[in-house]
Amino acid sequence: MFLYIDPGSGSLIIQALIAAIVSLPFLLRNQIRRGVGAMRRVTGRDEESPRTQ
Amino acid sequence: MNRAEETTAGSPVAGNSTATDSSVDPASFRDPSGFVFWRNGQPYRQVNQVFAADWDAFVASGLRDRLLDRELLIPHEEAPSELSPDGQAWQLQRVEKLEFVSYPYEWTFGELKDAALLTLDLQAAALECGLTLKDASAYNIQFRGCRPILIDTLSFERAEPDAPWIAYRQFCEHFLAPLALMALRDARLGMLLREWLDGVPLDLASSLLPASTWLRPGLAAHVRLHARAQRRYADGGPGTDGTSPGRPRPTMSRQRQEALLRSLRGAVEGLRWDPSGTEWADYATNTSYSERAESAKKRTVEGMLKAAGVTKGGTRPADTRPAGTRVWDLGANVGVYSAIAASVGASVLAFDIDPAAAERHYRRLRADGQAAILPLVQDLANPSPGLGWAGRERRLLADRGPADVVMALALVHHLAIGRNVPLPMLSLFFAELAPAAIVEFVPKEDPMVRRLLASRRDVFPDYTLEGFRRAFATDWDLAEEIPIEDSPRVLFRLVRRA
Repeated sequence: MFLYIDPGSGSLIIQALIAAIVSLPFLLRNQIRRGVGAMRRVTGRDEESPRTQ
Repeated sequence: MNRAEETTAGSPVAGNSTATDSSVDPASFRDPSGFVFWRNGQPYRQVNQVFAADWDAFVASGLRDRLLDRELLIPHEEAPSELSPDGQAWQLQRVEKLEFVSYPYEWTFGELKDAALLTLDLQAAALECGLTLKDASAYNIQFRGCRPILIDTLSFERAEPDAPWIAYRQFCEHFLAPLALMALRDARLGMLLREWLDGVPLDLASSLLPASTWLRPGLAAHVRLHARAQRRYADGGPGTDGTSPGRPRPTMSRQRQEALLRSLRGAVEGLRWDPSGTEWADYATNTSYSERAESAKKRTVEGMLKAAGVTKGGTRPADTRPAGTRVWDLGANVGVYSAIAASVGASVLAFDIDPAAAERHYRRLRADGQAAILPLVQDLANPSPGLGWAGRERRLLADRGPADVVMALALVHHLAIGRNVPLPMLSLFFAELAPAAIVEFVPKEDPMVRRLLASRRDVFPDYTLEGFRRAFATDWDLAEEIPIEDSPRVLFRLVRRA
């Protein structure tokens, strides 16, 4: 890492915390999508939503 | 902030670079990965040996080519390494010379916001390639016309797995905090960037922002909580390389890094400002001209611009600077006459003291896709000074010229009467900016001047048409003097004395 600016100790910590929090909704959404996708596969309806992962 | 930025931003644009043969740009000293230097008026950037692997990774990733294709990175081409001032170059780049280097404290709200969004786009693109933006300095962004562009080609480095964004703090201080202050407190607070060249301190921003920003998650997190974290860990904490005592460096998965960028983008995009209600925002629509006078003035100004040699080819055939005559429209307001100058082929810098007028101008230009005009906020009675180390990192406004033609329409009375600047000093100031000028004299009988004098004593006995002619005759030869129909105003086309 070619570090020449001061990233700031507090800045590193807070960004990690913020990132952890703001990534939760996306994590949750992905989990829900996976769950829905799995259920559709089980019920044989996966062709109705080809974008479901 | 990096050197490339400073280098390119330092003097290349300014035309009258102090570089004679080969000299390192005075703003290019912070980043050891390379530096900008001038050679015969042309800017170059050196990639130092120490940065070779990162530079090669940037090129090999294809990101450089993609950014160049999308006109998001300043054009550059490889130059012979023997031009290196110190013989230590991994590579030399001949960098496109900017028309003008502007600074964040001269930008409108929309310009700073667009520069912020570009910076986030660049970091997002870098992450996709396994790279990261190692700095997020607002000075690394410049405007080509109305389009923001990254001028520091050395801003990208290989990303360490799960490393936080090193430039996060810089982004918040250079972009988010001043934008929030401008949007939620007062647009004039953009001038804080002139005092704090390394960005607005977050504790200061927090203390100035309204308490309601606690209810805006993006600002509450990235400015307010960020400021508290800075204070709490001011005595040290995790080392960026994980080797310092104390906690290890925090880690962030790629997913979290992307989430952080989305959050920052949301915070920036959520900041809006209605550019109205300031002194000059509606000035263009509230002038004292009759329709006939306005139309006559437009015709006359266009004729004078053409007579002054404004063309797409420039006023001087041997000019090595970018093609097109450079017009500085002083007191441009929302840019009615800047548009006329652009229509006859000029590239225009449209300066105005009022952030709202300049912002409205910028928004219209962006909507129209007009690339030849850049609005900037500038108080001509207190223009941008030389700032930073030795006062040479950020250059004085006049040092970033010269223009080919300076226009001062409906401006002289504001400076001469509104700010008590004697006419001979105005004449000299204009003469320092350009060899040709188009100046409008607004006499005391004009309603606008009467308004200026309504609440004060008239201490301007020399502010007369004859006094104007006399004052400007010291520095200028009169080329044309044309009264504006249906108005007491007079337009002058002037040529600077040798």
